[in-house]
Amino acid sequence: MRNGSGLAGSVLMLLGATAAYAAAFDRQVPAQPRGVVEISNFSGNIEVSGWDRSEVSVHAELGGGIEGVEVSSESGHTSIKARQPGHGEARLQVKIPKDSELNVSAVSADVSTSGVLGVQRLSTISGKITTEIAAADVELKAVSGSVQVKGHGQPARLRASTVSGDVHLEHTGGDIEAGTVNGALIASLDAARSVHARTTSGGVRLEGTLARGATLEASSISGSLTVRTAADGGFAYEVSSFSGNISDCFNASPEHTQYGPGSRLNGTRGDGAGHVRLRTMSGNVELCDRR
Amino acid sequence: MTEPSNPDRKVTSLRELPQSIEPRHDLWPGIEARLGAIPAAADGATPAQRRAVRMRWLAAAAMVACVAIGVWVGRGLLPGTAGSGVLAVNTNPPQAVQPPVNAVPREVYVSDPRYQEQRAALVRELQARLAALPPPERDKVTASLQAIEKAKADLEQALGHDPSNALLQELLVNTYQDEMRVLTDVHEASDPGRGI
Repeated sequence: MRNGSGLAGSVLMLLGATAAYAAAFDRQVPAQPRGVVEISNFSGNIEVSGWDRSEVSVHAELGGGIEGVEVSSESGHTSIKARQPGHGEARLQVKIPKDSELNVSAVSADVSTSGVLGVQRLSTISGKITTEIAAADVELKAVSGSVQVKGHGQPARLRASTVSGDVHLEHTGGDIEAGTVNGALIASLDAARSVHARTTSGGVRLEGTLARGATLEASSISGSLTVRTAADGGFAYEVSSFSGNISDCFNASPEHTQYGPGSRLNGTRGDGAGHVRLRTMSGNVELCDRR
Repeated sequence: MTEPSNPDRKVTSLRELPQSIEPRHDLWPGIEARLGAIPAAADGATPAQRRAVRMRWLAAAAMVACVAIGVWVGRGLLPGTAGSGVLAVNTNPPQAVQPPVNAVPREVYVSDPRYQEQRAALVRELQARLAALPPPERDKVTASLQAIEKAKADLEQALGHDPSNALLQELLVNTYQDEMRVLTDVHEASDPGRGI
């Protein structure tokens, strides 16, 4: 009996899903292995994956209000655009040559990519961005959505920002620049060369390893900063806070400024090859040279 | 009153010096006359106090120049904020946090008229741009803008007490840059057909 109810529920859900996405769209076009692919969608979602073929495949499920999907490919440039005069949703599943340069623009749609090795520029207003990155440059921008990045430790240039969402960076190396206003910023670092992290009121947590001679800078007004990082060759550190507490795992004592509030902690770990600079107004700061 | 017995005699020890020397006549009438010649300060501040206040404002003015330069340099470097003023978005968000009374006025920090014009244009259109966002997203972005306003107010209040604090100045510049980034992102995000 219980199984019957579950089956009925599943059928209803399926019908509901079918009703929401009444039409399907499929198309394949030839593309260059290292061409440019541009995708835009107003509402729904966009899933992009890289593959070994020299063609772009588009599968779309279209809700009411969606006229269709425009797909064009010419001179190494492929464009995919959901035509949306109303407020319907479109779900786009796109496969592109894995070395393509990818540009995605969405409004109220989640964006996810995997297996793309070329440069990626992904932006959405109210959706979430989830991406897997390789060694190429990546730029991610959201307004109210979160940003999640899964790296493989390869050095890349990564810029990730959102206004009110969280930023999660996993196994990212190379040059990293990330910011959010009141979301949390959490990153695991794999031999990062430079890290710049900034929030207004969100907390920042950076853990992992830095390359020799790397620079790590993080600041927040009222958010806390937690940095636990080991660096080949050690690092010199400068930590300042106007009214927050400063703590560390190597028994150094912060010095309080002579006039007015404020404290700072300066010193060197190991050979001091790298540089760590942390700043807050009222947020607490914790620094450790171990992961 | 102790007078040196022989002014030409060489002093060989501090003990030989008089403990105090009285003036030959009462100096107070002259001092009083000179004090009377100085216009009385409206707030009753002494010259030393006025000098201290003047120094604070000079320090604040110097800081303004640094902050203004920093803001402009930062805007030039930030993605989406450089170049021909794309900007035309927002106003003070609903229930924006106002600077505290004892903070140094905001205009003191960012005096560059181009910055003020562009920010004002963004602020004027903010409500319309926010209205174009779905309600849950609008609330989130509004909360973020309020967080920035609060951060600015807190920093300005702290700088009001410590105008030359380099850490606060740096964080304030960061916050102005972040505000411009957010205003620009919201503006571009709600620009139909453009996205961010």
